[in-house]
Amino acid sequence: MVATETPSPWTDAEWAAALISLLGEAVGGVHLRAPPGPVRDYWLERVTQLSEQDPIRKIPANIPEGRLLGGIDLGATLQHGRPIAETGMLGECDGLIVIAAMAERLPRNTVHHLCAALDHGTINVARDGIEAQTPARIALIANDEGTEEEHAHAALVDRLGVALDMTTLGIHDVDDEIFRRRDIERAIDAFASVFMSDEHLTALATLTASLGIDSPRPTLAAAKVARASAALRQSRTVEEEDVARALRLCLLPRAQQIPEMAEPPPEPDTEPEQTDDSETPPTPETPPPDEERLLEAALAQLPAGLLEQLQTRSARLRQSSTGSAGDQHRHQNRGRPTGVFRGDHRRGGRVNILATLRAAAPWQSLRRREQIEHGNQSSPRHLQIRREDIHLTRFQQRRETLTVFVVDASGSAALQRLAEAKGAVELLLADCYVRRDQVALIAFRDEQAELLLPPTRSLVRAKKTLAALPGGGATPMAAALDLTRDMAERAGKQGTTMQYVILTDGAANVARDGTRSREAGTADALAAARMLALSPSSGLVIDTAQRPQPRARELADTLRGTYLALPQADAQTLNRAIRAATP
Amino acid sequence: MSTAYPFTAIVGQDDMKRALTIAAVDPGVGGVLVLGERGTGKSTTIRALAALLPKIEVVRGCSYQCDPSAPRPGLCPQCGKPSDTPDTKAVTIPVVDLPLGSTEDRVVGALDIERALVNGEKAFQPGLLAQANRGFLYVDEVNLLEDHIVDALLDVAASGENVVEREGLSVRHPAQFVLVGSGNPEEGELRPQLQDRFGLSIDVRTPGDVPTRVEIIRLREAFDQDRTAFRKKWARKESALRRKIQAARDRLDDVDTPAVLLETAAKICLALGTDGLRGELTLVRSARALASLEGKTAATVDHLRAMAPSVLRHRLRRDPLDESSADIRVERAITELFQESVGDGGN
Repeated sequence: MVATETPSPWTDAEWAAALISLLGEAVGGVHLRAPPGPVRDYWLERVTQLSEQDPIRKIPANIPEGRLLGGIDLGATLQHGRPIAETGMLGECDGLIVIAAMAERLPRNTVHHLCAALDHGTINVARDGIEAQTPARIALIANDEGTEEEHAHAALVDRLGVALDMTTLGIHDVDDEIFRRRDIERAIDAFASVFMSDEHLTALATLTASLGIDSPRPTLAAAKVARASAALRQSRTVEEEDVARALRLCLLPRAQQIPEMAEPPPEPDTEPEQTDDSETPPTPETPPPDEERLLEAALAQLPAGLLEQLQTRSARLRQSSTGSAGDQHRHQNRGRPTGVFRGDHRRGGRVNILATLRAAAPWQSLRRREQIEHGNQSSPRHLQIRREDIHLTRFQQRRETLTVFVVDASGSAALQRLAEAKGAVELLLADCYVRRDQVALIAFRDEQAELLLPPTRSLVRAKKTLAALPGGGATPMAAALDLTRDMAERAGKQGTTMQYVILTDGAANVARDGTRSREAGTADALAAARMLALSPSSGLVIDTAQRPQPRARELADTLRGTYLALPQADAQTLNRAIRAATP
Repeated sequence: MSTAYPFTAIVGQDDMKRALTIAAVDPGVGGVLVLGERGTGKSTTIRALAALLPKIEVVRGCSYQCDPSAPRPGLCPQCGKPSDTPDTKAVTIPVVDLPLGSTEDRVVGALDIERALVNGEKAFQPGLLAQANRGFLYVDEVNLLEDHIVDALLDVAASGENVVEREGLSVRHPAQFVLVGSGNPEEGELRPQLQDRFGLSIDVRTPGDVPTRVEIIRLREAFDQDRTAFRKKWARKESALRRKIQAARDRLDDVDTPAVLLETAAKICLALGTDGLRGELTLVRSARALASLEGKTAATVDHLRAMAPSVLRHRLRRDPLDESSADIRVERAITELFQESVGDGGN
């Protein structure tokens, strides 16, 4: 039975469990942020109870593509003498709720297939002689255990209607059950006839826009959740509390910006001189009346401190909107095989025995017969493997290169020079594009150095980030060099070759402890530079000072890197320099 | 397949819808690339196109949808044999999905595994490229496609035929398709060779204003609630557009291409410094297709102008960083050109 709602942290979790059980694939699923532990287990247990689906199957992060999608069942095929398809996990889970464990670690291809299933309710398979379209209407609970840097891929998150963050919940927060299975069953019947007014729909769309959410999918999910919420309350119409719930569960967790609130609308009569105009000035469009109130109400219900969290999270989201797309590359860097393909072993590459045998197996009887027909009697029972069967394992063969741009955006680097530095970085980015390098961007100004763009291959993002880089403030050089060293060490562990390009005038004036002093700043910067010189990376210092200074030269020498003054740094020189800096 | 969302019920995204319609009118424009962020309806729109495509005559029983009226040498081995007039039937132009994770054997075709196992005989089982002949081949997340599949695609797209040499089997069949790709540019760059293959390129964005957002949600909700009823409601608009496409296909050959058009196309491409002739040809072809779609008897410079951004934005001299301003560059070049040619009595 529906209890009177007391705003406890557990309430949202309980509602989320009810909503996913009720809506299933219609709402896509739940983006669950929760560390492993009893709270998460209990919540999943609640989903099991409410959906009466036991057990809920789990897709491991490292599931092979063939198992996920299905393909040919080799054993059965050989046994029966005709091709027998094997349903993949997505097909087996048609109509069910599934869990993706460690969603932040899912390889990009797996993400794609999950997205396709969520979008279309079917998957297309064209593998190993089998071609099929399999129904795969799944509702996905993506169990995102990612920390600051890693989280589930944005394309996947976009398709999961409900977001639930239980990272701050402890076992003591777990509260009474609100729903029973029969509440869900009743709501399933009622859901279709729940009415949602245009005002409420408009309110949701307006809220989505004011939260800076671009994709229409979250709004769509919110509309469904609002109606489902009404159905669960055994109401036939969507009320404000349902919209507020949808806002909390679907929209707020995806906010990209804090909506401006409580700001009175600008006075319409700021131009009093227009008074006796015959045409009345157009009345400003009044926003739907309940929208602001709703947002306020929803925000008020959020636990304290969440707004700040939201602020940091949205910054983080924007920073790495492609989620863990880099994972795959990282695996490749460690020399993991990334797949098999048919190829000629004489051109190099490692033969994948299993894939080769699989490829050869179906043709054995045919080949044997052919051989007999050709009068070649020699041991017809031997396995016959031909060149066309040979499959090679694909590795990431090339060592990847990561180019980190460390841009001094401080006041001393002078704003007009910052524009030129940006121009230089763009030139270098073009070169990185040609070589398919990954790029990352570190900027330093005022108190700190910041990784603005984690390693990416997307130049569009690099360019956007760069364009948005503000200038001014002090020069915390040491912090920037320390951050660069962190990255170099991480890159080294991943088998990536890293090079960095520092664009600065070399005038450090913030020490590691944050004090502002030219001497301490410079001393710390040089100390950091010596450390960085020891790391597995190579560097280039581009002096952005109006007149080249010995300071930047000294920095380059300490780094054992190449020094280049920007005035001489036209496109070709830069390219040559960076190429020379590459080991 | 689950009932697709109707093409005509897609809110906004006019550029994308026009480009796809143009490709349906004249497959010769050479494919459509749709790039945009999540939730812009890329994939929905492309899949919706399938329901709009008119029927074509094919040779009955042919795995490659061979055109019975085409000259024999270009047909598949079976239809290419000199014989009596073949039996024909009308089928809807195919839209074939090339899913990520496809293996090469299913894309280009391979030995028929069933017949090898059961009868021990060698027979070719056509792949996705065969199914897509004379139709559309759609690759979602095209920038994530594996390199060796891309290689196969490029090769076939260039020659219009698929050659398979395997297990002592040698098959050569026509594979002319409109390549449609979609992807999110933030996920990685497209290989330049592949990008060049696309005749038209579209940048889609999410609609920002609230009324449009509300409209999208309202329609989608209605669709999710009762797909059949929703499709029925849109059936008239759908069939009107289908007829329009069919009519435009039928009269395409009769649309005039004035000499001034060719000249203008050449000038635009010259001004923008695009590589190769393909830009010019596609520009003229797509302008003609647009004219035909509008029921005009001749393509005009206005048509050219309307199509120029889609045709040229991905052909500008390779400057990977200038992506955002590509449209502006095209627009600027055209404006400059037309200011000059006002006196020449251009169209």
